Amino acid sequence: MKREQKRKLQSVVALTLSMLAALFGIFWLVFILGSVLVHGARALNASFFLNDPTPPGVTGGGMRNAFVGQLLITLFATIMGVPVGILGGTFLAEYARGKRLSHYVSMLADIMVTVPTIVVGTFIYAIMVKPLGHFSGWAGAVALAVIMIPVVLRTTENMLTLVPWTLREAAFALGAPYYKVIIQVVYRGAITGIFTGVLLSIARVAGETAPLLFTSFNNSFFSGNMNGPIASLTVTIFQYAMGPYDDWHQQAWAAALVITFAILLVTIVGRMVIKLRYGKK
Amino acid sequence: MKKEAAGIKTQKTKNLILGKDPFDLLFYMVTAVAALAVLAITIGIFFILVRESYPAIKKFGVFGFIFAKDWDPYREIFGAATNLFGTAVTTCLSLVIAIPVAIGIAIFVTEIAPDFLKGPIGGAIELLAAIPSIIYGLWGFFTLAPIMANHVEPLLMDTLGKLPLIGPLFQGTPMGIDMLTASVILSIMIIPFTASIARDSFNLTPELVKESAYAVGATRWEVVKNVVIPYSRLGIFGGVALSLGRALGETMAVAFVLGNNHQITTSLFDAAATITVTLANEFTEASSKMYTASLFYLALLLFVLSFIILAVAKFFLVRYQKKYPGEQ
Repeated sequence: MKREQKRKLQSVVALTLSMLAALFGIFWLVFILGSVLVHGARALNASFFLNDPTPPGVTGGGMRNAFVGQLLITLFATIMGVPVGILGGTFLAEYARGKRLSHYVSMLADIMVTVPTIVVGTFIYAIMVKPLGHFSGWAGAVALAVIMIPVVLRTTENMLTLVPWTLREAAFALGAPYYKVIIQVVYRGAITGIFTGVLLSIARVAGETAPLLFTSFNNSFFSGNMNGPIASLTVTIFQYAMGPYDDWHQQAWAAALVITFAILLVTIVGRMVIKLRYGKK
Repeated sequence: MKKEAAGIKTQKTKNLILGKDPFDLLFYMVTAVAALAVLAITIGIFFILVRESYPAIKKFGVFGFIFAKDWDPYREIFGAATNLFGTAVTTCLSLVIAIPVAIGIAIFVTEIAPDFLKGPIGGAIELLAAIPSIIYGLWGFFTLAPIMANHVEPLLMDTLGKLPLIGPLFQGTPMGIDMLTASVILSIMIIPFTASIARDSFNLTPELVKESAYAVGATRWEVVKNVVIPYSRLGIFGGVALSLGRALGETMAVAFVLGNNHQITTSLFDAAATITVTLANEFTEASSKMYTASLFYLALLLFVLSFIILAVAKFFLVRYQKKYPGEQ
């Protein structure tokens, strides 16, 4: 009898601990989001979006330049990275399906998804910033595109694999060439998944800081020139948080609030769409 | 069965790309080039980093760089030991904190939580992974570091710091800007990765096997400990290795709270430098050729190291999926 009680007690203790672990995880999420919300909301006002930064030490001003810079860099990164990712994923899922090459390239892409992004920053610095002699928005966009490609490639490959093979056979039977089958049948079947995957990958790179430090650098003035250094929200947060002024800290929190909730919103919506469309996850 | 089907498909594909329509070949070529872009980027990063760090490689060698403690921009003598030390300590400590928690979460989500809670709790934990690392850094610097300095670290000093063997780890001045704080932040960041892979692996355990264990009178914990965990061991290894790779390359979250001090110390309450933090702080300021080359050398080390670890992670996960293809 005693032994049985001990086993039951052991089970209760272990399961309670695992419940505490879950609470521990949720606790951090609430803590972090709560801090960002509380601190960020204080500095959030219209001037924050509409004005450019004031000279250091002078209170007021906003981050208009960083919002514009962030949008430009992310936009061009998307334009460069997404087509390459989608086409590459198409090759792996269609033409190279079941071949060894496809297996190895998707494995490599999986590794590249997690490779430190700061390494990508140094790489782009060496091939774009150093030869040209100056930081540029283009370098930042290319760095983010390089990070996006493997993410989009893997998502596309997965989504295309989910399209039933019989659907393609039906199209072949009508005499359609393979490229038409891919574009008109396979893409159409997977469009929701691919689109959502692209959105999630944009959300991912929009929060990146490390690859921008040595590429697009920073700029405290308004600039839409992709050929020169350009401000981004994330690098500005880094600079402001490390700076000595209280006003800067406030604005860093406000920028953090905007970027965090924008990214979380896209992520949650994206995941819900995938869940609704594909049932699992 | 499955293999056969795949074989037939490949053969079909072969005939199809040789179709008469010239656009077919064009589309094939375009997609092939796009797919090989990933390969080109990987090889490109490796060669460019080797090229850029070549002066430092030539001057310091491989082991002479890895084991040298100096990091002296004035005399232009550089070694990676302090950076590797910081990276190793913060990464290991964050894994020590994160792994038990992540496995606990996975157990809770798969075995204990009522069905209506499974989705929301798992989803909430995964949201931790979506928060940008700069936010972790900002929050760690302004919110967590003061708490660590004023409450957690003095407490640890008075308790664990008095113990004989591990005591020295918890002594010194509790500033909050140190390896312990950095490790705590890192652990929060990697919990969702380990937890979600552990959860997926747990879910692959066949119900039948679990029910057999219950039938012979095992308690829930015994089923988890003796059936579910052994069954998903490879998956968990893969998840841990993946998290290790993540923690290794994390930059912004630790750049705020580590202090960027090139030293090797015994106390977790000391500032340190990791490879990523050194790069983030010093890359744009490097004044001499050798300095820049040494920083590129650090980036190269980080790239190679994380590539190997992630490849090992992938190896475990692929083997796991092959062993238990499951219904999912």
